[in-house]
Amino acid sequence: MRQIAAGALAAIAAVVLLALSGIAFGHAPGELLSTLISGSIGSSFALHGTIVKSIPLLLTGLSVAIAFRAGVWNIGAEGQFIVGGLACFLAARFGLISSLLASMIAGAAWALIASLLRFWRNAPEVLTTIILNFVGFHLLGYSVNGPLQEARAQYPQTDAVAISLSTSGEVVIALSICIASWFLLYRTKEGLRLRATGFNPFAARWAGVHVNAQIARAMAISGGMAGLAGGIELLGVTHRLFERFAAGYGYSGIAVALLGQLHPLATLLSAVFFGALTTGAGELQRASNISASVATFGQAVVILTLIGLSSRAKRGIP
Amino acid sequence: MHIVDSLLLAIVASTPLLLAVEGEVLVQRSGIINLGIEGMMLTAAMTSVMIGSFAGGIIGAVTMAALFGIFTVALRADQIVTGTAINLLALGMTGFIYREMQERFTRPISRSGIDAIAILAWIVVPVVLAFLLWKTKFGLRLRASGENPEAVRSAGYSVALQRWSALGIEAVLVGLGGAHLALVLSNGFAENMTAGRGFIALSIVIFGRWKIKGALLGTAVFGIAAAAQYALQASGRGLPFHLLLAIPYVVTLLILCGITGRVRAPEALGRG
Repeated sequence: MRQIAAGALAAIAAVVLLALSGIAFGHAPGELLSTLISGSIGSSFALHGTIVKSIPLLLTGLSVAIAFRAGVWNIGAEGQFIVGGLACFLAARFGLISSLLASMIAGAAWALIASLLRFWRNAPEVLTTIILNFVGFHLLGYSVNGPLQEARAQYPQTDAVAISLSTSGEVVIALSICIASWFLLYRTKEGLRLRATGFNPFAARWAGVHVNAQIARAMAISGGMAGLAGGIELLGVTHRLFERFAAGYGYSGIAVALLGQLHPLATLLSAVFFGALTTGAGELQRASNISASVATFGQAVVILTLIGLSSRAKRGIP
Repeated sequence: MHIVDSLLLAIVASTPLLLAVEGEVLVQRSGIINLGIEGMMLTAAMTSVMIGSFAGGIIGAVTMAALFGIFTVALRADQIVTGTAINLLALGMTGFIYREMQERFTRPISRSGIDAIAILAWIVVPVVLAFLLWKTKFGLRLRASGENPEAVRSAGYSVALQRWSALGIEAVLVGLGGAHLALVLSNGFAENMTAGRGFIALSIVIFGRWKIKGALLGTAVFGIAAAAQYALQASGRGLPFHLLLAIPYVVTLLILCGITGRVRAPEALGRG
């Protein structure tokens, strides 16, 4: 109950601060809020936009939630999303299932690089995953300017993929993954071991958990989900790859997971909230020429409000 | 191109990075991982151009450091999560302000001839910081806050004070770094112009084993490796341009793998 209140407060704080910063630069607050709301849930077109944006956010949010639950700082969903999209594009000729599988495998493999560097060289995941985001970004940049560029060679983008995924198909996959994540975390031994590892790796080791293998599996699942998000985004929304393909979905996943308290079902609500915020912000940019990056600002406010509230709560306990 | 020129270019081009590494060594020695350094530098780059001076950069970085400190030092919130939030905040805020006040970012910026900041970063700051860390009581207390905060508390000193001081010094250094990036190395501000320098700095801190000497060495190694990218670009042969852009990050991964032997972080690093 307390967590729900904190989440709601954080969401409200984000919208209020967003309006305040708009006022500071001379925009009318009422107009700003009404654009934000009508642009995200005001029409069936806007609602469709919100759903389409919520899907990658849900998957990257779940990806981050699972890694954080296992106590691994996977900040690399952005890069895993990108390589997932790339693999999906390359495997598109083999059909829908194969291409989505390819995106999961690529995302998992990209995430496992960080785990390998941890086991081999004790390099912290929090840094290696971030650096791998940049490597992935430039790999995509190279691909769409070089070997994978469209046949016309006019823009830095690929040709459209031959197969596609409907929005309802996207929703079904994303919701299944969401429920599966909940089942994995709370109804399986694997999930128990994963959470135990995150809660206290030393205790988990004493209880017989193979901590390194557990961390690697969590990382693979986490990366696989972010990769799948990239594949679904390619087949369902963009149909092509281009430099800004990931559009920050990976980083946003962190805010989504934290607002969802790292719980898969709450992450669903959180993803819809941020999906609406992102869609509304896009409308703000079109209608009032306010940068759509205010959505990123909103994510930061949500995280800061949440950690502010939770550390106050912790201090209340003697 | 002469090899001396290229090396000099590499040194000057990695000045913002070095300032960030130096600041982060100090902060991590006091027991804090500041992942938000990327956002601090990005904010500093923007404010330096808005105000039109290095002091402007410092103002931006100090503001972000204060916010980071309120959560991590005062409220003792998780440092990684706070750092991530600071980075998102800086990215969102600078993107927003950039669009609102574009005319302020298009004016030409006057430059001075000698790069005083590069000299400061490569010679003055390392000497001062090394002295501060290893030869003064302030440095001892600061390092103790990172190794054994309970001992600092029982000796009657405030751990928070040490950490706030370290954050303050880091903010000044990162502020200068962000300003140098925008005012000297680039022609003003561009969205997300720090391009991961903060994260590269964090990697170099580990590579340099939390020492000032290591910070200089690590930044020099990185700077020269990254400069090889420009040389390759200029030569017009070899790898395609977009793959060259990935070189600094691959080098960073290699640097993180180059941590050989036993590396020991400050004992209380990352704990609230």
